[in-house]
Amino acid sequence: MGITRVAAPIDIAVSGLRAQSAKLNVIGNNIANADTTHGPDGKPYRRQSIVLATGEGQQGVRVQQTVADNTAFPRVYEPGNPDADKDGYVETPNVQMPVEMMHMLQASKAYEANTAVLKRYLDAMDVTAELLK
Amino acid sequence: MAGIDMISGISPQMPRPSGPGAAQGAGEGASFDQTLKGAMDKADAQQQQSTQALQDVLTGTSGDVLPVVSAMAKADMSFKLLIGVRNKIIDAYKQTMNMQV
Repeated sequence: MGITRVAAPIDIAVSGLRAQSAKLNVIGNNIANADTTHGPDGKPYRRQSIVLATGEGQQGVRVQQTVADNTAFPRVYEPGNPDADKDGYVETPNVQMPVEMMHMLQASKAYEANTAVLKRYLDAMDVTAELLK
Repeated sequence: MAGIDMISGISPQMPRPSGPGAAQGAGEGASFDQTLKGAMDKADAQQQQSTQALQDVLTGTSGDVLPVVSAMAKADMSFKLLIGVRNKIIDAYKQTMNMQV
């Protein structure tokens, strides 16, 4: 490893921060739309999640894609809703709040873990710079 | 990192004082002041990059705060390493100048 790669751990930790905040972004969107029965296509909101991939040269992480959750929409009896079918049932988003909460906790802890890595690396470099004194 | 790769240009030989009276070795890498100045310029460029990143976020040009984190961490790290290396260079220079001939 050349001296030019001294910054690599910083880039890796920041890529982790970026990936986890993308996750939090999607989870926030899922929670905000947990009751949205009428999306842009007239269908209920479909839960989304993020797929992560290793970054370039096996360094760091990147968001590969956002995928839609294809599980069935739960049907709820709500005859007054304009989106209700002839029997009075409305399809609701396939977002499950406890699942989203769990994923949110996971993502925010992972974000914290990446900041911890960044901080520890900077501390280690401080200690290394002390050797030059 | 671009900011401190100049430092690798420092040869393990004794630093040579430059200037009108100083003897210049023929083609033996960068001179003392060039080495020091080059390293400082690179570290300074990173400082300015981090300032720019911060300014972009504060003025609303960029909505992403992570580039600031990364640029500041790199600038901070290369600055600290530069200080360390500079102290060593200055020490070596002083010792050379105080040498009894």
